[in-house]
Amino acid sequence: MNLFTRLLCLLTLLLSSSLAHAQLTIDITKGIEGSGIPIAIAPFSGGAPENIASIIAADLQRTGKFAPQSAGSRADYSVAGQAGSGGSRGYIVQFQLSGAQGGQLLNLSFDAPANQLRAVAHRISDLIYEKLTGDKGLAGTRIAYVAGGGGTWYLMVADADGQNPQMILRSGQPIMSPAWAPDGSRLAYVSFEGRRPQIVVQDVVNGSRRTVSAAPGINGAPSWSPDGQRLAFTLSKDGNPEIYVLNIGSATPSRLTSGGAIDTEPVWLPDGGIVFTSDRGGSPQLYRMGSGGGGAQRLTFEGDYNARPAVSPDGRYLAMVHRRGGRFHIAVLDLQNRQFRVLTSGGLDESPSFAPNGKMIIYSNGQRLAAVSVDGSVKQDFALRGNGRDPVWAPFAR
Amino acid sequence: MNPLIRPLIAVATLALLAGCATTEQATTEEQQTPQDTAAQPGITAQPGQEAYSYGYGQAPAGGYETYDASGGAVAGAGRRPGQAIAGGGSAVPADRIVYFSFDSAEILPESQTIIEGNARKLTKSSRTVTQLEGHTDERGSREYNIALGERRAHAVRQAMIAMGVAPQQIRVVSYGEERAAAGGADEQSYALNRRVEIVY
Repeated sequence: MNLFTRLLCLLTLLLSSSLAHAQLTIDITKGIEGSGIPIAIAPFSGGAPENIASIIAADLQRTGKFAPQSAGSRADYSVAGQAGSGGSRGYIVQFQLSGAQGGQLLNLSFDAPANQLRAVAHRISDLIYEKLTGDKGLAGTRIAYVAGGGGTWYLMVADADGQNPQMILRSGQPIMSPAWAPDGSRLAYVSFEGRRPQIVVQDVVNGSRRTVSAAPGINGAPSWSPDGQRLAFTLSKDGNPEIYVLNIGSATPSRLTSGGAIDTEPVWLPDGGIVFTSDRGGSPQLYRMGSGGGGAQRLTFEGDYNARPAVSPDGRYLAMVHRRGGRFHIAVLDLQNRQFRVLTSGGLDESPSFAPNGKMIIYSNGQRLAAVSVDGSVKQDFALRGNGRDPVWAPFAR
Repeated sequence: MNPLIRPLIAVATLALLAGCATTEQATTEEQQTPQDTAAQPGITAQPGQEAYSYGYGQAPAGGYETYDASGGAVAGAGRRPGQAIAGGGSAVPADRIVYFSFDSAEILPESQTIIEGNARKLTKSSRTVTQLEGHTDERGSREYNIALGERRAHAVRQAMIAMGVAPQQIRVVSYGEERAAAGGADEQSYALNRRVEIVY
């Protein structure tokens, strides 16, 4: 690790704010079928002000892939560590991951200030998860969501376990549809300030913001292209909701759809194609078109309401809002084999968003946030003190 | 701290510790403390504006109290059917609200009188401008509901134009399900929320 990287890491440890506003917690409401991989996690000795072991256990439990056990239990793997005063930043956290036969799989050490101990614990969880499953973990990722309503609206960014919520926008008018730029540095969203909708891009780092569209009528549903150079969104300036694409930095968006139907909620596929919601066939369904528009191919045929698509990072799955029996569910369509699966028991479920590792989908049940695995086997509820909607999972930090 | 350094540090913050696992006990001369960062004001919009934006971790801590209060008020647990959302209720008088059926933007016969009354007002005073605000109930996708709300507002607009109102006297905005008049998750509340408000 070169000096620059080390410096960045230290600054990260230093400056990630970790105010103890525990407004969201997550409960596993349904474990994976059968139980996860048993992993024994011993309390960390050394007297650090955070319970590192319990944070790691909660992180691993939340994945649905592991069944954390107390120290000394028979388990396939074991985690032991120390977190005590020392080092240049205040605390040294060391941990070891071992197999059942005692072979050491990981042995790492972190130098961190007190307010970064939670972040270090999440990092340890992700290292363990990646070592044992081969997939990148989510404990160190973040989510954005909209809270409030009825007078004051908030755009929030929190850790993936719901802790450490940070307000990045407060407004006296509605905020909608946040979308992370692929590099995780900016959010595009819809703001109704001035009593009219506009699409705003806000730098999450320094708070600076820029209105990129404020056309007459709807300005909605922003979505970043995979390369972060373009935004797709919905405008109704020509009298009807249509999908447009804007090159970032350019002033004039180009129109991709036409006709008398509602076309909205565009999202990009990794190959540059765009999936969107349209009622051109009489009911809202998902369609796919090229990045330049043109002929669109209908993708959904189950029921009379499929809207608000989200694309998995690998482009294989589409999550959506699906109405069945008068209830709204999160459903997923496998674009490879056309298998359609309803993932949630339903009600007012909406706004699905894939985790950056493609394993989980976060969504809102109209009041609160929840998450479900793409195979439907793991479900999480975010127990918010306030409400939450329009959640979007941030990409992995680069 | 050098202002040019701050975004860099924040980028590092957002890096979420990726790549920071290390067996090295790295040290640095940087003596910056988290308290210094917290003390730096968030970057806000101009005073008097409706919206205030912040960098991650820069918002004043006091904001969360408001967040808790208003979030709690809207949270579903104790909400009774038909209970209005505090502050979000409509202040528009009944003779300026046009209601709609589920999943429909069709003007109902009973709405004709209300639209006619407002159209008359507008034709009499050609300098008056109205804003038609379209709304939906909370069911279904939020952005799709924005489109449905606009369709309702356009239906009222078309009706007014047919009654002789000049198009330039009418502005249209859709709030979809974002500004409910009634907060309940029941048919009665849904019916109150499927509406176009005629605002002067």
